[in-house]
Amino acid sequence: MPKHLFKCSECIPERGEHAVIKGEGEDLTDALPLGYLNTIPGTISERGCAYCGAKHVIGTPMKDVIHMSHGPVGCTYDTWQTKRYISDNDNFQLKYTFATDVKEKNIVFGAEKLLKNNIIEAFKAFPETKRMTIYQTCGTALIGDDIESVARQVMKEMPEVDIFVCNSPGFAGPSQSGGHHKINIGWINQKVGTYEPKITSDYVINYVGEYNIQGDQEVMQDYFKRMGIQVLSTFTGNGSYDDLRGMHKAHLNVLECARSAEYICNELRQRYGIPRLDIDGFGFEALSSSLRKIGLFFGIEDRAQAIIDEETTRWKAELDWYKERLKGKKVCLWPGGSKLWHWAHAIHEEMGVEVVSVYTKFGHQGDMEKGIARCEAGALAIDDPNELESLEALRMLKPDVIFTGKRPGEYVKKVGVPYLNAHAYHNGPYKGFEGWVRFARDIYNAIYSPMHQLAMFDISKDEILKDNRFLTQKMLSDANLSEDIVASPTLREYTGKFDSVSGLRDKKYPYMEYKEEITNAV
Amino acid sequence: MEDPKKEKLNQLIDYIMKNCLWQFHSRAWDRERQNEGILTKTKQLLCDEPVKTDTPEDKCYWVDAVYLADSFKSKYSWLSDMTKEEISALMQEVKDRMDLLTVKGSLNLELTDPRY
Repeated sequence: MPKHLFKCSECIPERGEHAVIKGEGEDLTDALPLGYLNTIPGTISERGCAYCGAKHVIGTPMKDVIHMSHGPVGCTYDTWQTKRYISDNDNFQLKYTFATDVKEKNIVFGAEKLLKNNIIEAFKAFPETKRMTIYQTCGTALIGDDIESVARQVMKEMPEVDIFVCNSPGFAGPSQSGGHHKINIGWINQKVGTYEPKITSDYVINYVGEYNIQGDQEVMQDYFKRMGIQVLSTFTGNGSYDDLRGMHKAHLNVLECARSAEYICNELRQRYGIPRLDIDGFGFEALSSSLRKIGLFFGIEDRAQAIIDEETTRWKAELDWYKERLKGKKVCLWPGGSKLWHWAHAIHEEMGVEVVSVYTKFGHQGDMEKGIARCEAGALAIDDPNELESLEALRMLKPDVIFTGKRPGEYVKKVGVPYLNAHAYHNGPYKGFEGWVRFARDIYNAIYSPMHQLAMFDISKDEILKDNRFLTQKMLSDANLSEDIVASPTLREYTGKFDSVSGLRDKKYPYMEYKEEITNAV
Repeated sequence: MEDPKKEKLNQLIDYIMKNCLWQFHSRAWDRERQNEGILTKTKQLLCDEPVKTDTPEDKCYWVDAVYLADSFKSKYSWLSDMTKEEISALMQEVKDRMDLLTVKGSLNLELTDPRY
């Protein structure tokens, strides 16, 4: 498995340890890129900071909480339209953002008084919200503001409120992943075990490492509820603060994004004996096996199978419509941390695409092990790439589409390569059976949109041929398909609704509905 | 032509690496425990031996083992032609190979970090 040094990075030779090409017949013992290290000076990478990883990735998806940054107002940037972790309480956590608005004078004279005033003001402005998380930032960490002490003072003065303090300033790690770690450990140390939740089922799980991107959590929760499983807490998408304080009462931790949340699962296993089951919510096969495993754990595998049968019957023909049109298309799978391994094998098997490259911005070597193991020989695996390396990889690999974040997504457009937002999605949710078809539809729309071809014409000099004046996706995608496929009576395009999530919120669940309360220890 | 025995081993390893996640916990001791727990139970299921499921941890390993044993049986028909002794020996090779790939031969520098 040869290491790969990009030409543009020859002046930063250390970068040669951060990329490998998966060779035929080779395995993980031959080569592995370095990972989770400080970015090498001179390489402009695409990472976020540890504060961002703690607050904007993991903390803020909690829905019934005032999330406050103790720092300059600019640190609260990621709110509406940049994050898409929705919730079923009218998106409180997205609509309102709070910062103490620290200025230079506060850095000189201290900002604890400012913090206390802000906390009280925020609770008064939203009297129905009694829970708060506070996040340390670089400036207030460097001057040594004692947020814990201020939070204790407020909780003493206002006994009805509860506050969690996350000490993860921007510099507290090589990337956002350092913040994931700190908030996981902070939460279990400070909050788990401080609240006794109501148990209403014989089957109780924590759903961990799930952030409800465009409704992913609600789709999965629907399956769990249809099986009669109580989702005691979700860490943290659409999750409730007090539910997450009661995580110690679950029977099983179901872990989705191990990169961001395996720490709390591991600690729950060590401290409370709750086992950890890693699952994949993406892809028909992987999701089916995940539901089967959870069903098996509780002895209700027949309920899982009923859901799998129903959903597969409903959606498989639509997935296959797209698969026929996506076969052989080359994909650069360039997400942040976990989707390189969640998706690499599933999109190859179930959508027929070829993953020619995987990269991770902030993943650890463990993520690369999983990603490389799950992609085919010949794929280029890159850790913490910079923009020039990404562009060089594009010239080398000539992908048809890229799944990545919005920053690289914008510059790849300029070289004529369509991108899908791997973090926040285009038209998600992508989890669940229907979600997987929505993902396939988005890939299809990205690859075959005539806009991408038209955008590459320079109307000041290129000749616009008659053939190019009017194009549709189907004209492009079906040109080389057999008549059997094009006219297939069974295959069909996506037929779901524009909004596939809101309807789930009013559903009744037969196994849950009439269940008597088992304990009420609150 | 590749040794048929090795080919069988490679197929099982490839299946685990592409479809499972349990082998990639973040610490060496954790990976050893996962490999031992799940692959031992998988072997027991394939050889019709009793499987311990009385603790939550055992049950969780058993769940992954059931999935793996069922997948092996449905995808690799040659398994049904093997004797219990042969399956047991093959699964021991699978375990040894997984330990090599994920623990002993792993290049992941985080595996020896003492804390999560």
